[in-house]
Amino acid sequence: MTREERLLAAVIDAVDTLVDDFDLIDFLHTLCDRCVELLDVSAAGVMLEDPGGELQLIAASDEHTRLLEIFALQHDEGPCVECHRSGILRLNIDLTSPAETGTFPVFAARGRESGFVTTHALPMRLRDTVIGALNLFDTRRQNLSPADARVAQALADVATIAILQHRTAAHANQQRAQMHAALKSRIAIEQAKGILAERWSTTVDEAFDALRRHARSHRLGLTMVCRQIIDGQLPTDAIDRP
Amino acid sequence: MAMDDLAAVLESLRPAPGSGGMAGVDAQRCARALGVDGVAVSVTPGSGLNELLWVTPGASTRLEDLQFTLGQGPGPEVASSGAAVVVPDLAAEPAARWPVLLPEVLALGIGAVFCLPLRLGEVCLGTMTLQRARPGPLAQTPMSDARIITHALTAALVKDEQSWDAFAAAHDSSHFYRAAVHQATGMVSAQAGVSVAEALIRLRAYAFQQGRSLLEVAEDVVARRVHFRDDDGDEPGPAPGGGTEGP
Repeated sequence: MTREERLLAAVIDAVDTLVDDFDLIDFLHTLCDRCVELLDVSAAGVMLEDPGGELQLIAASDEHTRLLEIFALQHDEGPCVECHRSGILRLNIDLTSPAETGTFPVFAARGRESGFVTTHALPMRLRDTVIGALNLFDTRRQNLSPADARVAQALADVATIAILQHRTAAHANQQRAQMHAALKSRIAIEQAKGILAERWSTTVDEAFDALRRHARSHRLGLTMVCRQIIDGQLPTDAIDRP
Repeated sequence: MAMDDLAAVLESLRPAPGSGGMAGVDAQRCARALGVDGVAVSVTPGSGLNELLWVTPGASTRLEDLQFTLGQGPGPEVASSGAAVVVPDLAAEPAARWPVLLPEVLALGIGAVFCLPLRLGEVCLGTMTLQRARPGPLAQTPMSDARIITHALTAALVKDEQSWDAFAAAHDSSHFYRAAVHQATGMVSAQAGVSVAEALIRLRAYAFQQGRSLLEVAEDVVARRVHFRDDDGDEPGPAPGGGTEGP
């Protein structure tokens, strides 16, 4: 095992729940390579919060020791630490600017020694939970365009979702329940439109207007009115025809 | 170039509040980025519910409609298992796997299908289905890019709460691909005096019997070209004179 491999093995071991998942680690490496290609940057790394709340590198586009060490520096200072804490992205940080790197001088100095001039940190978050950060490095002084920044955030989201496959199902069940409720609600509205359109020989749009007017004037939820029509609890003639 | 296409797809996946189109994207561009002939994305959050988010025209649209009409195929399989279904050579697939669907899909000229889950934890929120006329496996790079897109899309769906709220309330700006199916279900339930659940079964059975997609039949019902009034004991059929006779 080379020194690089040992270093990488060490950081991966620290993220204990993910050790066995070679497929995930492999996917995240591919993702880092894609970040470099799609965003035209020099290096990319996925930093993940470990069970102790500290950031650990879990995958990088490039496994040279110096790059790994820069990532490893971000225990207590660095753009990823700030991004992870605040959940807010930090783009286009000039590593040569004392003003921009005031809160992470050691990180900035080591980055410059390794030839990097620009860095970006994007939160890996799902709703209110921030699980880590995507860190990008550039050997040139160049900013991400707004479109590049959206691609970068989408890639950070990809890493988040890939990792959350392996975490608690709480988010997932909540999300499914919400989508399920939204679809069911919408289906009830469309069915009620059809029932009224048929009974009144009107168009579905006219039926919908009548439904909305009824719900509004009686201060009722539209979905509830629709469900009552479907169940036959609300007689059609209780609603003003268009 | 495929790389630009992948970047463009990822860039366009951001939630667009008020646009009504959840995670709107150029589906053709997505297909090009992955080197396939067509792509479709459906959300299927359980209980057989299904909504088509985006799709390339032609074979992919027909494939989604067929699966929705018949309730079988790679999409329903992935939605219930949460695991990817990869069929690099449909012609070599045993007919028993999807007995009704398979000949129809081959007749559309589809040679290979790759259906991936939109997964969040253990939960499958939907599917992305890639299809190609030429049989053969999907190479490693397009396969990992497809995974990147499914994850990005899952994240976009999770973030886009506003659009889901607009969708649930049937807000004017929100598009519902299968709206006609549910409107027709309501109409048939009023015509035949049956529950909406039974009305949907009758619509599906009629579509299957006629060899047409559920959506096409539903559109005919909404346009009053077909009715299901069975008070005279007749089978469903065309409305007399294309008219819009009252109840």
